[in-house]
Parts: sequence; structure tokens; C-alpha cells
Amino acid sequence: MTSTSDAMVMLVLLFLSPFAIGLLMGLDRKLTARMQNRVGPPILQPFYDLIKLFGKERRVMNNSQAVFGVAAMLLQLAAFVILVTGGDLLIVFFVSGAGSFSLVLGAFSARSPFSYFGAQRELLQILAYEPILFMAIFAIGYREGTFLTNGIGQDLVVVLPLALLALLPVVLIKMEKSPYDIAVAHTEIISGPYVEYSGRYLAYTEIAHWFELGILFGIMTLFFQDPNIYLSIAGKIVIVFVFFLAALIIDNSTARLTRGRMVRFTLAFGMTLIVANILILFLADKGVFR
Amino acid sequence: MTLKEKMRMKSPWILHFDTGSCNGCDLEVWALLTPKYDVERFGMVNKANPKHADILLLTGPVTKKTEDRLMTLYNQTPGPKVVVACGDCASNGVPFFDCYNVDGGIDRVIPVDVYVPGCACRPEAIIDGVVLAISKWKEKVAATEMVAAEENKAGAPPETSASQEAKP
Repeated sequence: MTSTSDAMVMLVLLFLSPFAIGLLMGLDRKLTARMQNRVGPPILQPFYDLIKLFGKERRVMNNSQAVFGVAAMLLQLAAFVILVTGGDLLIVFFVSGAGSFSLVLGAFSARSPFSYFGAQRELLQILAYEPILFMAIFAIGYREGTFLTNGIGQDLVVVLPLALLALLPVVLIKMEKSPYDIAVAHTEIISGPYVEYSGRYLAYTEIAHWFELGILFGIMTLFFQDPNIYLSIAGKIVIVFVFFLAALIIDNSTARLTRGRMVRFTLAFGMTLIVANILILFLADKGVFR
Repeated sequence: MTLKEKMRMKSPWILHFDTGSCNGCDLEVWALLTPKYDVERFGMVNKANPKHADILLLTGPVTKKTEDRLMTLYNQTPGPKVVVACGDCASNGVPFFDCYNVDGGIDRVIPVDVYVPGCACRPEAIIDGVVLAISKWKEKVAATEMVAAEENKAGAPPETSASQEAKP
């Protein structure tokens, strides 16, 4: 936010990121299809789906469902804007969390057993990934002494590799990938919290999901920064794609686990790695390894 | 046809419902999702949810027990929507047309847009049927947009006249 070139980069990021996330979702479907020996949909398919949904008949179960669906999108959008404009990571985390919770409330507001199942499971997912995401942000703050995204230094991936690795289950949960696609269990409870949404309101929740993913990948790209802007961008893209491909491979080679195992594994794995990472940093600061 | 409409036609989401079929046609419907036929390359996804669906693929003669459920599913699907009756039983109820527990074809209960023949109908025939259904869907989208535009036109003058009356 200091110079005009920075402002330009922010504007470009702000307008191009939603398209980039949409393309990433399309690539996800294409690669999944190729892994299953299918041809798969075009890479622009998520955009076709959204345009189709906006043309459908307007139908809501009740007003609060529609309001929570739109609120989920607006909160995620707000969090995304704060992240891109170099705001506070903690505020990003809490506003995005409010967006996720808004989706849960929307699912609870429709009197449907599938929607209730989905909402309960979404809450369990939040219980599983929020502490890990929070601890990862805390580790960044501990290392850098600030939570502002534009105050973050260069060597995070070197000093906090375990904290970055701990985000892998979080990526799986947020991308709704097996073995942790607990809420939108396709063959089991249809589409969980999204089940009672239709038409444009389904599109709003889908856009909310895109921004949610954008925030997660955005936080992960903070781990690599370089004075050379091209190297910086390349490194960020490499981080996103490594996690994206890992999620795809895990998705196509595993079956869905129970919700209890998701919460236990995610918390145990993530907490252990991040606490170990912070401990090593702390001891290194005290000069133990010298 | 605008680019927007072209893009809309590339995302037909499917609801498959068995109204009392012998499972022959159902197997063929599911075969569409396998690597051999892979209908996802046309953007078709089996959503298993009437609220997300655009095209209803229905199989089997309508039994008395599934009649209400079929009506519910049809009413829960937001328009514009297209109904495809897959197989001979779904088309006219043969060979169960005069059974005491069967209504007959799907069109006895809800309006059908496309009939796919065959016992069981071949996956290629279902793909042909869905392609036909997409062209029907295109017509329905155009029709709903015309109705909406006319409603807007019809709705607009009273508002303006009311506002003009309000302004002395």
C-alpha cells in the first residue's frame, strides 16, 4: 500500500484471483477425470455451471436461508479483500470463519434432515481445521512479530516448513476432498449444507466456497516471498500447485473416513507439527543449536 | 444465440429416479458415468438432488407407490427443467400397462419432453435423448426469458404511472 505499483498489483490480484480459483476448480475436475481414465469436462466448466445457476428459477425455503447464503459470500469476499490488500491475518481468519458459520446457519434454517446432517458435519469440519489454521497464523505472527500480510518477511518456508505441511489436511477439508469430504459426502448425504439451496443461491454459496479456498491458498502463498517479483510469483504458484496436486492424488486414492477420525487426525497431526515447529524456533532463538 | 446462452447449455445437471424399474435401464443410466461413455465431458453431473437438477432421467413404469414421490421430485426441481423418460416402461408402461399396481408411463403423472425407446435403452440412445433434451431445454430457457421480459414490460408501466400520479 506504499507505492502505486503495489496498489496496481493488489488491484490485478483482486480482479484476477476469482477467475484463477475458478480455473483451478475446473483443472481439478479435469485432472480427476484423467486420473479415472475419463475425458472430463472443459476447464471452464465451473463458470458454465455458475452462469447456468444464475439463470434458474428463484426458489428459497425461507428468507433466512437466502440471507445466510448471501452473507456467506459477502463475508468470504470481505476476508479475501482484507488478505489481498495487506490487512491483518487474524481479521482475515475471523471474518472468513464467520462466513463458514453463516453457511452452517443457512443449512440449519431449512427444515430438512439432509441439510441438518450437512450443517452438523460442517461444524465438525470447522472444529477440525480452524485450530490448525489459527495455529499456523499464530506461528507466522510469532516468527515475524506482526500479523499484517504486507509486513511478512522472506524465508517463512525455510523456518516454518512444518507449519506449512500441517495445512495439508486443511486443504483437503476445504477443497471437499476425500478422505475428509465429510459434509458434502456425495454418495451418502447428497451435498450436505448445500442440499436445500438451488439456482442463484446455490451459486452464491459456490462463490463463497471459491473465496474461502482463495483465502486458504492466499495464506499459504505468504510462506514464499522474494525481492525478485517473478521468482516470488513462481514460488507462490509452486506452493499452491504442490498442495493442489497432493490433494487430488489423496482424493483419488482414498475412501471417506468417519468424522471422528477426521477431527482426531487433523488436530493431532497439525498441532504436533506446528507446536514442534514453534518449539524449534524458540530453542534456536535461545541459542540451543549453536 | 448469445454467448451466455451457449454457456448455459453446457451445464445440464441430472437427477436420476427409478419409478419402479427392473433396474435394467438404471444400469444403463449409471453406465453413462463410467469412463466408457463419460457424460461429464458435456458438463453433465449426476447431482442426485432435485433442487440442483435440470434434466430428470426417469426409468420404469410408475407404480402407485412412487406416483406421489415422482410428483414431489418434479415440483421440487426449479425451472427451466426437462423430463426424459428412459426405456419402454417409462415411455408407456409396457408390459405392465394394465397391472393393478401401475399407472402406466411417466406421462400419466408428469409432462414428458423426450422419450427414449429400448428395453433396456442403450447408453448411446440415452445420450441421444439427452442431446435432444438439451435442445428442448434451450427452447424452454428462451420461452421463460420471453415471459420474464414481457412481465417486466407489463409490470413497468403501472409503476411509472403510479410514480407519475404520486408526483403532482
